[in-house]
Amino acid sequence: MMKKIQHIAYPLFFIVMALLPALLDSRWLVVATTFVIFTIVALSQDIVLGKAGMFNMGQALFFGLGAYTTAVLNAKFGWPILATLPVAILIPAFFGILLAGPIIHLRGDYLLVATIGFNIVFVQAVQNNLGGITGGPNGIFGLDMLSFPGLASFEHFMPYYAALAALFFTLFVINNLESSMMGRALHYLREDDLAAGSIGINTRVHKIFAFAMGAGIAGMAGTMYANQYSAVSPEAFDFIQSVLFFSIVIVGGSSVPGILLGVFVMFVLPEIFREFATWRYFIFGFAMIFTMILRPRGIWPAKFGRIPKAFTEKGRENGQQ
Amino acid sequence: MASSDLILTNVTKRFGGLVAVDDLSFHVQEGQIYGLIGPNGAGKTTVFNCITGIHPCEEGSIIWQGEEIRLLPTHKIVQLGIVRTFQTIRLFGQMSVAENVMSGRHIKSKQHWWNGIFHTPASRRDETENWQAVFELLEFFELRDYATHTVGSLPYGIQRRVEMARAMAVNPKLLILDEPAAGLNDNETLALIETIYKIREQGVTVLLIEHDMDLVMEVTEYLTVINFGRKIAEGTPSEIQENPAVIEAYLGSEDDDF
Repeated sequence: MMKKIQHIAYPLFFIVMALLPALLDSRWLVVATTFVIFTIVALSQDIVLGKAGMFNMGQALFFGLGAYTTAVLNAKFGWPILATLPVAILIPAFFGILLAGPIIHLRGDYLLVATIGFNIVFVQAVQNNLGGITGGPNGIFGLDMLSFPGLASFEHFMPYYAALAALFFTLFVINNLESSMMGRALHYLREDDLAAGSIGINTRVHKIFAFAMGAGIAGMAGTMYANQYSAVSPEAFDFIQSVLFFSIVIVGGSSVPGILLGVFVMFVLPEIFREFATWRYFIFGFAMIFTMILRPRGIWPAKFGRIPKAFTEKGRENGQQ
Repeated sequence: MASSDLILTNVTKRFGGLVAVDDLSFHVQEGQIYGLIGPNGAGKTTVFNCITGIHPCEEGSIIWQGEEIRLLPTHKIVQLGIVRTFQTIRLFGQMSVAENVMSGRHIKSKQHWWNGIFHTPASRRDETENWQAVFELLEFFELRDYATHTVGSLPYGIQRRVEMARAMAVNPKLLILDEPAAGLNDNETLALIETIYKIREQGVTVLLIEHDMDLVMEVTEYLTVINFGRKIAEGTPSEIQENPAVIEAYLGSEDDDF
């Protein structure tokens, strides 16, 4: 039953998302684009926090690193936006390895504090115009927009569809991760890393892999973000953003529907209830508290037991005999 | 020295001022079922932690297949063919039985790290082969019906079997069992004895700690008895049963209870 719903739900989600811009005015198109981009970042956070179980509260750093890579390459060196994309994935991934390396043995709260530290250092560095290329507190603006020849009349929709393509790519990659040796290893680390080591998994290498992969995907979202606003500025990648991405994974649960729900609740609902001004945050705070009390593993927790059909069906036949 | 013997020589492990394992030596020969027994707190599990690299020992040497493994990290020791189970079962509780056993296939998998991002025909084939191996093991341990069950919600006896299946999935040459019969009822213990024999038939050496003396005397071929981290006796089960030092250690510890 659950399987059937999923089989219908994913194509339906794709179709709705693809047709959405036709129904939205320009303000809501911005909200929808933000929703898509933040979903990508939340999914990348889920690789580190939800799957591998590492308390990383600095995901905005990698998001920002990707956005700044695109902005600097475009504004200072004249690269087209699309050409900056691979670099905006690789540089955060590289920094993911570099930063995670020395702190990866830390547990829980200690790792959390260290990653907050990295995030603060990053924001300070770009605010102070590091190397004279990050533009200081105002950031970098006047970037080009992603465009394809022949699609000039759709330029208005370009940021949305570019972000959506990146989201689909992310879902594809995460689906591959889940059905691979590496992806399962991350789950084993979260559940019990001593036991994981005792069956031969190199815990350190796999934890760093999770960080690098999460950072690369967040970097890709960063390019989409720079493309959407044609600008980047430091406060968009502040530590408080990291807290939000962290909360989305915890409240939503470590699953694709959970994360979509989490991002919707955190970023889209506040837009819908704009007329209630600050009261909406009051209600969200309580909603988060009650979710944690009533559903400690999130609204839509991860499900396990994804075993190739060929084997489970054989098992069922045996059971019936 | 290519035979799969495990030789401990003068192994000493200290935790602060406490000497948990004191100058311990023993020799497990390939194909043996070897028992390590002793009263509670004698340091048996610590010996296992030293062998498997969880708590490397400070002194002595641990030779496996002719190589020193004393200071190797845990995952490297596993790659050399030594796998253990835990006294307190350590499974991946939220995951299914099949996924738990699959974790043992991790180091046998031929997938590369980047197959976590993109699959290739080779990685898909490897994935299927590993699942095949997992389901053969589930068959062997009679766990097939539980394949998709969440392991944390299963009865204790079944969890024990899952943990052994997971260890066997690594294709070990030496299987280290830390109190495999703890918490099992009589029927389950009998089944466990059968399983240990079947594992040995596959050419796997077994080293075990156990409190259930009936089981130890039944299955093991050679025993080392330790107390307060020191070896007090070694020999075949019948020799051990008559050894006065062993009787005193066990009866003496019971006297302390009164």
